Order: sequence, then structure tokens, then C-alpha cells
Amino acid sequence: MSSHTDTMSMRDALFEAPGPRMRRNIRVGTAISLVLVAVALGLVVQRFYLTGQLAAKYWTFFGQASTWAFLGRGFLGTIQVALVAGVIALVLGLVLMLGRTSALRPVALVSRVVIDFFRGVPSLLLIYFFFLVVPQYGIKLSSFWMITLPVGLAASGVLAEVFRAGVNAVPRGQVEAAMSLGMSKHKITFKIVLPQAIRFVIPTLISQLVVVVKDTTVAYVVSYPDMLQNARVLITNYDALVSTYFVIAIIYILLNYLINKASVAVARKTGTKIISRTSTAAV
Amino acid sequence: MATEETSIQLPVIELDHVNKHYGDLHVLRDVSLSVEKGEVVVVIGPSGSGKSTLCRTINRLETIDDGRILIEGRPLPEEGRDLAAVRAEIGMVFQSFNLFAHKSILDNVTMGPVEVLGRPRKEAEAEAMELLRRVGVAEQAQKVPAQLSGGQRQRVAIARSLAMHPKAMLFDEPTSALDPEMINEVLDVMVELARQGMTMVVVTHEMNFARRVSDRVVFMADGQIVEEGSPAEFFDHPQSQRARDFLDSIKGH
Amino acid sequence: MGLSELLTTYGDVYLTALLTTWKMTAVSYVGAMVLALVVTVMRVSPIRPLRVVGDLYVQVFRNIPGVSLVIIIVYALPVLKVVLDYGPSVVIACVLLGSAFGSENFMSGINTIGVGQIEAARSLGMGFVQIQRQVVIPQALRSAVLPMTNLLIAVMLTTALGSQVPLSPNELTGAVSYINTRSTGGILAFAISALGYVLTAVVIGFVGNRIDKRVRIVR
Repeated sequence: MSSHTDTMSMRDALFEAPGPRMRRNIRVGTAISLVLVAVALGLVVQRFYLTGQLAAKYWTFFGQASTWAFLGRGFLGTIQVALVAGVIALVLGLVLMLGRTSALRPVALVSRVVIDFFRGVPSLLLIYFFFLVVPQYGIKLSSFWMITLPVGLAASGVLAEVFRAGVNAVPRGQVEAAMSLGMSKHKITFKIVLPQAIRFVIPTLISQLVVVVKDTTVAYVVSYPDMLQNARVLITNYDALVSTYFVIAIIYILLNYLINKASVAVARKTGTKIISRTSTAAV
Repeated sequence: MATEETSIQLPVIELDHVNKHYGDLHVLRDVSLSVEKGEVVVVIGPSGSGKSTLCRTINRLETIDDGRILIEGRPLPEEGRDLAAVRAEIGMVFQSFNLFAHKSILDNVTMGPVEVLGRPRKEAEAEAMELLRRVGVAEQAQKVPAQLSGGQRQRVAIARSLAMHPKAMLFDEPTSALDPEMINEVLDVMVELARQGMTMVVVTHEMNFARRVSDRVVFMADGQIVEEGSPAEFFDHPQSQRARDFLDSIKGH
Repeated sequence: MGLSELLTTYGDVYLTALLTTWKMTAVSYVGAMVLALVVTVMRVSPIRPLRVVGDLYVQVFRNIPGVSLVIIIVYALPVLKVVLDYGPSVVIACVLLGSAFGSENFMSGINTIGVGQIEAARSLGMGFVQIQRQVVIPQALRSAVLPMTNLLIAVMLTTALGSQVPLSPNELTGAVSYINTRSTGGILAFAISALGYVLTAVVIGFVGNRIDKRVRIVR
């Protein structure tokens, strides 16, 4: 029966099965906290009501198909940036990881500096680099690349570390076995180690997509029509700032929530873990 | 007052028509058992028979749905200080050792006496060292649990329980997580305890231990106590078909 | 613009920007830790509504983009007659975002302990408060050192949100945009700010690793 307690989550284990006195305390605590939650919700609604934000004109345009079509186009823009930036980050992250684990000292050092750099600066700063600095050198980028490149670069540093964790998770014995078969180092890396490492980090890669999606929201800086930028257009059209920003925020939260759920589901299915220690991105 | 005299004869542990469910699963069915002072009771049975659950209800790591559990004639308290006080008097040794990972071996053993009994640290440490010597791991006192082998860790866990001067000790499959070569070093400590008159309830798969050391064998299957008796009776003349099947199935080992 | 010219013209802007980033980071991090603790206590409590609210809080602020949150605080709240200064608005955003991740770190710190040790403590007769003080909190804190170090760096990066509002004085990211809209600072103007972040992150990471090595629990 020990399996029963092993699967029990720690958050339930901190308090033991209540006796009668504790059960009464929990009932009272539940009642009080329910009242507090209701009061808090009431205050929020009251605030919306007192400032007239519950008026129909602020909300009815969300019933129109055209609103959603417009937001949908923005959503597609967001997805485009996120996916292309994701691909850039995947490729560059893999290259940086291979560089960092390279036997050539200078290559390893440069890769390490690049990784630490991309992990250590805010993606907003990289965006300003492509928006304000790059044009000073006569390089003309479309707004799509002005947002996609920095978002991809920022993620590549993290992904390089994720890949490295994946490589480290491949049992050493396999490399030794391959070496004893006389396989070349190159072949071992690409045929034995990498395929397994990548399979191991797939859930983590999915969860990192959340960071990419969040970073895309700065697209308005470069006037790229992503969802947030289109929302700003809606706000000017309908003069409905509060409702629009709240609806948009909820959409982003749901999108990222689903991405997280997906990564957990994949992790569970493949029996792998989500590596969170390498991430420093919270924006 | 009659209680003064009778309490001496009362069983240390008594389960009285205990029932427990996990959802639809009826894991303890009308279980009654009493353990006298100085008695060693071994609980055996196939996995999933409820023997671990039974052991864990005695200090309320598992709750029961109905029935009564008495410790020296008094009902097991349901919560709070009273429950903690009873637990402090009953030692428990787990399958997975459960030593405190962030504390040294010595601190693991002194934690109970210092924190629960309020004994001076110096005194508690001296006694802890004595206990560690008794179970043969005194040299490891300054290490942390992860540096010890499974067998050593389990012996520390026993010392940790002994430091509380328990009236009885519960062993929940104490050797099941051990490599074969470490099982005996733990069993030896348990045999020694039994010899010194400790009241023990031992859930185990170690039939040799049951045969040699126990005063009584309790056989469980499907949440019920199917039969109980002296080790000689049970192992040589099992009464029930379930027990015969079980003994046959483990004969190879 | 060369380095010396850049530094003579904008040296003090950079210096104040670096100090502003540090200050915002420190204040946000402390706030985030305190809030993370409160939220975590709610999430492990046996009182259901508190658990649900705590879980919901974490999901919301883990998943909301920082920009979206800052925009709501800076532009939507005033419409609801909740007016905050720009500086505090950014710090509040950082606290809300950071606390959600901080609570996740605390939760996984608690999860590494294992039910068994708690049961062992209970069997010794230890009470709830004793178990928290002696077994749960010390271990949760020690295994949270590395994630919390990463979180400190993350909070620093999050303060770059300050560039999205008219902040005075500017923080490091805002400074780059400030300088580049006035003169062509080129790659150097960007690199100085970047260096400010990277070096701070390296130092934080180094210190965090040292602390972790000292307190890490071998399992």
C-alpha cells in the first residue's frame, strides 16, 4: 500500500487527515475565505460599474464577427512570429550547444559567451537593437523580422542550455558502446546522442514556446500587426480600452496555459521531464 | 481505582473491528488484533492484502472509517497534542527509511528527543551516540543520509525511533527496499530488540525472521486477517487454503 | 559616435540607468518573494477556496505577457480610477509576474522533500509547526536556491518593461531607446546597456551557484 502514499502529492501531505476539531476549523476557514473571495470579486465588479465600464457599448462589439476576424488576423501574426522565431531559436540553439560542447576551446568559449549574452539581456533590449540600432547601419528590415529575429535570438540562448541538459541526460554507456563499435565522434553525436537528447527535451521545448509567445507582444514597438497591436487599433475604433485589454490578456493567458498543458501532457506520455532550471525569462 | 492495576494487563495495541476504504476498495475488513506487552507480532500476506495499511493505522498515519484503536486501553486520539504524545511513544520504521535528508545522522537521532521531549542537546547526543553504536553505525554520525548504504540508513532509522524510548515499535516492511546482502544487518538489530523484550508489530516478507523471532504470525489477505497463530502452527499447519497457497508461492525463495 | 563621446555625453544616463535597474530589481524581487510565500501558503492550505485562488493566481501571472500586464496597469486601471505612478506600476507588474514563478519554485522545493520524511516526523510526535520549521521549510528553501537565483535574473530582465512607459530616470533598456532617439549611438550604445545586464546576471549566477553548492541537500 506504500504506492498509495508515494503518489500522494506533497501539498496534500503537509496537513494530515483532519480530526473533528480540525474539520470544524477547515469548515469555518472555508466559509470565511469564500466570503472574502466574494467581497473581492464584488469590489472589482463595483469598480467596473462605478466607472461605467460595464456599459454595453464597451462589450457588444465582441459579439461581432468582424471584431474576431480582425483579432484573428492579429492572432495569426502572433503565431507566425512565434513559430518562425521558434525555428530560429531551435536551429541556433542547437548550433550554440554543439559549439559550447565542442572540443575546440575558442569555439566553446565564443559559444558560451553568446549563450550567456542572449540569456542575460532582456528581449526588449534586443528588439530595440533591431529597431533602433540596425537601421543606423543602413540595413533595412521589415517589421516582421524586426520582431522575429530578436525574439528568436533571445530564445536561442535558453534552448542551447536546454539541449545541453538533454545531451547530459543521455547515458554515458551508450557513447562508450558506440565508441567500442568504432563509430566516429561525429557519427556518435548525430546518430546516437542528438536524436535521444532531442526526444528528451521535446516537452521543455514546447514549454519554452510560452516565453516566445510572450516576447512577441512587444511587436507594437515595431508596428507589426500582432494580436496586441490589432487590439490597440480596436481600442481607437471603439474607444473601449479596458474591455479590450482584459479580453486580450485572457486570450494570451489561455493560449500560454494550453501550451503549458500540452508540454506537460507530452512529458507525461513520453516519460520525460520539463527542465525549468535553465530558464531565466519571466517577461 | 481499578485502572491502576488493570492497565498493566491491557494490551499495548488493540484494534477492534477496524474498517477502512480507499474509494470503492475495502482495504481493511473488520480487522481485530491485540498485541500484548513484550510480544512480537509478524504480519504477512500477499501484496495489496492491507498489511501495511494496518500497520500505519496504529499511529494514525492512515485514518480508519470505523472500529476502534486502543493504545494501552485508551482510544487513539484523532488529532493535536494528544495524538502527537501517543505517536512519541510508538516507534515507526518505514520501508524507505525516511531519514531527514538535510540533517546529519546524529541530528536525525537527536531530533525527536530534543524537539519533542525537550531534552538537553548534550544529553540527547550522548545517548544517540550510544544507540548508533548499538546498531553499528557510530562512525557515520557526522555524515548525511545520502552517504550511507540502505542497510546503514535503516539501522539509523531504528536508532532514531529507539531514542524516543518507545513502548512499542511498528516496522512497515523494513527490509523490502534493501539489497539482499544488507537485509541481515537490519534483521539482526531487530532480533536483538525482540530479545530485549520490545513490543513489536512487523510487516515483512522475511519468513525466516517470522519463524525464528515472532511470538505470533498474523496472515492477511484481501484486507482481512485470515488466520493467526504461533509461527510453528502457521508455517507447519496452515489452516486456510489462502495461507497454504501463499506459503507455496513463496517457497522458492 | 565613439565610446568616449558616448560616455562623456551619456555616461551619467547609463550610470543612473544601471542603478535604477538594480533598484527596481531588488524592490521587485523582495516583493515577489513575500507574495510568493503568501500564495504558496494559500496553495498548500487545506482550505479549498484559498487553494483555488492561489492556483488561479499562479496560472494567470505565469501566462500573462509582461507587456500586456504593464499596459493594463498603466492604461486600463486609471480608467477604473486606480491611478499609479509609472515607476510603481512597473514594479507591481514585476512583483506579480515574479511571485507566480516564485511560488512554483517553492512548490517544487516542497515536492522534493517527499511524504515519507513528513510521516517520519509525525511518528516522532512532532506537531505541525515543528514539522514545518524543522523539516519542510529548511529543505524547501535549500533546494529553491538555484531556481530563485534564476528568478532574480528573470526579474531583472523583466524590469526592462520600464522602457514601455515614460520612466524618469530611465532604466537600462529605456536608456538605449532614449539615447538612440536623440543621437545615432550605434551598436556601442546598445552594448553598454547589454553589458550592464549580462555582468549583473553573471555575478548573480555566480553567487547563487556558490550558495547552492554550500547548502545543497544530497539525496
